[in-house]
Amino acid sequence: MDVSEAVASRRSVRAFLDRPVDPAVLRRVLEKAQNAPSGGNTQPWNATLLTGEPLARLVALVADTIPQGLAAYSAEYPVYPAELEGRYADSRFGVGEAMYAALEIPREDRAARLEVFRNNFRAFGAPVLMLIHTPRYMGLPQWSDIGMWLQTVLLLLREEGLDSCAQEAWAVYQKQIREIVEIPDDHIFFCGVAIGWGDREAAINRFPVPRVELDQVVRWEGF
Amino acid sequence: MTKAASVTEAMLSRRSIRAFSDRPVPLDVIRQVMDTARWAPSGCNFQPWEGAVLTGAPLRELQQKMLVSPPQDPKEYSWSDPEVLPECLARLHQVGADMYSAMNIERADKAARGDFMAQNLTSFDAPAVLLVYFPRVMGPPQWSDVGMWLQSVMLLLREAGLDSCPQEFLSLHARVIKDYLGVSDESHIFFCGIAIGYRIEDDPVNQFERKREELDAKVRFLGFE
Repeated sequence: MDVSEAVASRRSVRAFLDRPVDPAVLRRVLEKAQNAPSGGNTQPWNATLLTGEPLARLVALVADTIPQGLAAYSAEYPVYPAELEGRYADSRFGVGEAMYAALEIPREDRAARLEVFRNNFRAFGAPVLMLIHTPRYMGLPQWSDIGMWLQTVLLLLREEGLDSCAQEAWAVYQKQIREIVEIPDDHIFFCGVAIGWGDREAAINRFPVPRVELDQVVRWEGF
Repeated sequence: MTKAASVTEAMLSRRSIRAFSDRPVPLDVIRQVMDTARWAPSGCNFQPWEGAVLTGAPLRELQQKMLVSPPQDPKEYSWSDPEVLPECLARLHQVGADMYSAMNIERADKAARGDFMAQNLTSFDAPAVLLVYFPRVMGPPQWSDVGMWLQSVMLLLREAGLDSCPQEFLSLHARVIKDYLGVSDESHIFFCGIAIGYRIEDDPVNQFERKREELDAKVRFLGFE
């Protein structure tokens, strides 16, 4: 698969087929992704991949925690910037609204919307969940390095025919994650990535997620 | 370098290029790359990236301004502890040692090393440079989003037969760059440049071996049979 097709065909997939992922494929992808660049060759990314029993235990623990509501949230970083303006403020709820529209769940049906949101904490049924963490001393440029590595992984998964969903949602249950998975105390938990074979026919995997026009994002001088 | 036909090929053929040929970068090619890169993911679909691509006279004019400006104080952003921690410094020094060794520059030859570092300001003679900035309110996860976009750009460049070098170094002149572009220093942080062009394949600085940690030092697998 060429890069253009991988970039264009990658989307956040939120319904997966009940089909296992070959661990040899995951190893191959992650081996290649080690070639991702990083400032000063810091390579600040660390990951733990779960499947089977440990993943089921995490899903069960978080399911038990969800009824505690916001009181149980423990994200170690702000998922959203405090003050947003312009196009950034506009995009805050855009994806959610498009998703619920595709699922024909109206705003008033809070229970149904909540149920969809809770699928985050089943990794949307994906057989594999990758948990990403990094030493706390890493600064903002190293977070960008982690993003470069992460997108590399997502594109290499596409090349293997696999789908994914990067899930910052898991950050709110980092305490529960640490009960199941040994993550060093001096590491900050960033996000999960659901990995599996997407059900590309499902409505939740088909709604459009538009992008800003190119000339609104990039300027050109001297051409 | 030939065009990368697959994600794997793009990944494995991408490296930070520090010697570019003078072959120009066509606008339609770079536009296509940037257009496709818009499909990079971002939390909440924020797409928290903004940039300017410069070539020709405007690029040279900006480079002249940087060449006569001292590095800004305070810095645009902190590199935080990786700047001082032994395990991170060791990796940084290793890259430097391998690079200078490939160019036959002695460790003690501070003048030659300084001259090479200064070539960052002219982006190693790359004909085009992408300058990347975004609102200061963006936090750690949005910096990761910017990274996802940048890596998409760099891999798509490989697909188009182009090469790149991400340059955090240019942040030493962030205010000069923002002033030149008319970008607000108050509202926006400048992150990095991406030098864009065609590599000189046989230049030693483009050929030294880059080291990476073993996979098992970075990634664990739990529950797999």
